Amino acid sequence: MVLYSFYIFDRHTECIYSRRWTPARPSSSSSKARPESGGSIASNGDNPAHAARKHADDEKLIFGLVFSLRNMVQKLGGEDDTFLSYRTGEYKLHYYETPTRMKFVMLTDTKQNNLRPYLHQIWANLYVEYVVKNPLAPVEHPGGIGVANEMFERGLESFIVAVLPA
Amino acid sequence: MVVFALFIISKSGGLIYNREFHSGLVKLSSNDLLMVAGSFHGMHAITKQLCPNPPSAPVPSSNLSANLAPAPWLARPSGLEVLETSQFRIQCFQTLTGVKFLLFTEPQQPNVDSMIKKIYELYADFVMKNPFYTVEMPIRCEKFDRGLDGFVKVRG
Repeated sequence: MVLYSFYIFDRHTECIYSRRWTPARPSSSSSKARPESGGSIASNGDNPAHAARKHADDEKLIFGLVFSLRNMVQKLGGEDDTFLSYRTGEYKLHYYETPTRMKFVMLTDTKQNNLRPYLHQIWANLYVEYVVKNPLAPVEHPGGIGVANEMFERGLESFIVAVLPA
Repeated sequence: MVVFALFIISKSGGLIYNREFHSGLVKLSSNDLLMVAGSFHGMHAITKQLCPNPPSAPVPSSNLSANLAPAPWLARPSGLEVLETSQFRIQCFQTLTGVKFLLFTEPQQPNVDSMIKKIYELYADFVMKNPFYTVEMPIRCEKFDRGLDGFVKVRG
């Protein structure tokens, strides 16, 4: 089982948490790339600014994609239909939306069954416990403030190791 | 075992054929259908771009003309193939020329792959070999319609 990346989007279309694993997924060296590239224009190569910009672009693309897919599905299947996942030849995208319009997205390899229950558990057992119930975290999370705290990160890491064995 | 509908989307994103076999999906106006097809075309391209592990290109040969050639199909990400929702499932098959066949089925439908290949055969036989058909234009071929009817009814 290969896990590529995990994203949380809030109801303002903003990516408030993102995490990527290299295809081999060595759990010790998890690269946590938060888009910090302000104005630096990277011209070529794999320098960090370039990578961060690419990741920020990916986040926007994924949000736009799941947003339009969700709308298309509701148009075709009726209001109570929900978009669950899609698969290409190379990867599979799993989707879970909470009643408050927060979106949880996970990219894995193609052999994975639907991970929606797991995404629900991440929301209920990790996000609600460690972010929503954290008295120091703001109500909204502009730029991801208050989401990536230590408890949440560690909980996510152990949850993934426990339920999605490599 | 229910097949709801079939869409054929041309390589430029236009809906050139749509056919409903069973009711189950929301009835859409033809304008809405065109919009759905167009946006699916765009989303299909994005899913290609999002590929986290692009298939590795074969080792480039020393031949210059081979280097200038576009990447072979095997080395390109494939884009969306199956989309699952709680009420239906979309299987997408893209031909080498960029035409997309979208088959809307029940979530637990088996053998959609072979079914879509068969539909592609019908398309090749009755649409592409029809001398009065212009490519990229809406498909109006009675034989294709009848072939689809027979095929889907026999299976269903």
